[in-house]
Amino acid sequence: MTRGAKAEMNFDCGDVERLLEPYLDGEFDVAERAGLEDHLSTCARCRHAVAEAMSFRSAFRAKLREATAPGTAAGTAPDSLRRRISESLDGEQSPALSWWRRLLTPLPVGALAACVAGALVVFAGHRSTDLLIEDAVRKHARDLPLELSAASVAPESIPGLLASKLDFNPRPPTFQARSGVRLVGARLAQLREWPAAYMGYQTPQGQVGLFIIDDPERRVGEPGHEVRAGSATIRVINARGYNVAVWRRDEIVYSLVTDLDEADLVRLVETAQGAER
Amino acid sequence: MLLNRTSQRTRHEFETLALPHLDGLYAAALRLTKNPRDAEDLVQDAVLRAYRFFDKFERGTNIKAWLYKILTNTFINRYRRVTKERTIVEDERDSVQDRLVSRDAADQAEDPERAYFDRLLSDDVLRAVDSIPIDFRMTVILADLQDFSYKEIADILDVPVGTVMSRLFRGRRLLQKQLQEYAAASGVLQSGRDSGSIEPDASIDLETWRRKHGRA
Repeated sequence: MTRGAKAEMNFDCGDVERLLEPYLDGEFDVAERAGLEDHLSTCARCRHAVAEAMSFRSAFRAKLREATAPGTAAGTAPDSLRRRISESLDGEQSPALSWWRRLLTPLPVGALAACVAGALVVFAGHRSTDLLIEDAVRKHARDLPLELSAASVAPESIPGLLASKLDFNPRPPTFQARSGVRLVGARLAQLREWPAAYMGYQTPQGQVGLFIIDDPERRVGEPGHEVRAGSATIRVINARGYNVAVWRRDEIVYSLVTDLDEADLVRLVETAQGAER
Repeated sequence: MLLNRTSQRTRHEFETLALPHLDGLYAAALRLTKNPRDAEDLVQDAVLRAYRFFDKFERGTNIKAWLYKILTNTFINRYRRVTKERTIVEDERDSVQDRLVSRDAADQAEDPERAYFDRLLSDDVLRAVDSIPIDFRMTVILADLQDFSYKEIADILDVPVGTVMSRLFRGRRLLQKQLQEYAAASGVLQSGRDSGSIEPDASIDLETWRRKHGRA
């Protein structure tokens, strides 16, 4: 909006009259403001018009605010309304809850049984899960700083620090020494509306990121395709050019975002799973 | 139990973000509906809708604008139909007589009566706001009571910025006229004083003006 030079901003009385409102509402850019004020400096009539409009506006706004100030009947939500809202929220499923219910609907009975049995991976096919994975890839690719750097915090203390902030214990896997995987650091993250832990690892093939979310309601669906990784069954998804491995351990879902090819990814997960067991 | 924890977290987040705006939402709703019972119903409906769609709210963006958008949409979709308010015509150049003000008044700069608005009563201000047509009223409430910018108001009401400007222009002129009438009725201002009008085809759209001046 500041493209025009000040000299080009020639306001006449008609412009001032027409544009008084946006001027007083602070909608003018610097050059327009300067142009209009140039005109005011030479035109007593417009100066009066502006002064009057300003006085009216400030008197009007002051009275409006006074009439709707905290404590006034016109500016305070009554207790009855607060109670009604609280009660109606009590009767409402949380938005997150309805989302998982929608997710659960297409879940096959066999898969449900597997969940109950504590199988490693249970997924329901659903677009929302794809969005979750896409969000993981997007956030991994952003390469945000890791608040808990393994250089400044003892790596073994990181899971405890994350658990203290997260309301669940993320229990990150430990990779076998032979994998050459090193923890770089961790941070708190969010996958869509889910609070998550993010662990950054350096592997011989490059950086990978692991998102850990708490999913006791088993809302996470069944993305990608099933692959065996050692004794575990995982899902592998390709999203935005990244290969992502997803697996579950009881209530916790792990999404490992990498730019490894599928074979390398599976080998990497095997070293993690091996360490788990 | 774990299920409850997740839902409690969502609810807590919603309440933390939304409830600080409850007084403002109610104040706006009261001006829109003009009665406390409808205002309560409107705010309750709007807040509940916001909660249902809370997973659609992009965290970190303007929650206040988002809540007012839901409030005004709920009002437009439901209550306005019931209250059968007169809908204004979008061609806002028709009504010349509403366009009061300024030239003559400016010439009377020394007239002590001009300060009538310094003696306004807050009840009169609310009465005047309630008296103007609903589309103007919504815009004035969002601008003068809730301090939204033209762009935010345009997003909230889903109209072009030019329409926001035009509605504010006319809404405020009507308010001024109404308040002058109250002042005249109470003897603060002599009756029969007309501030004149501006030409009917006066453009009041900053965007149009910018285009004309090669600035947009």
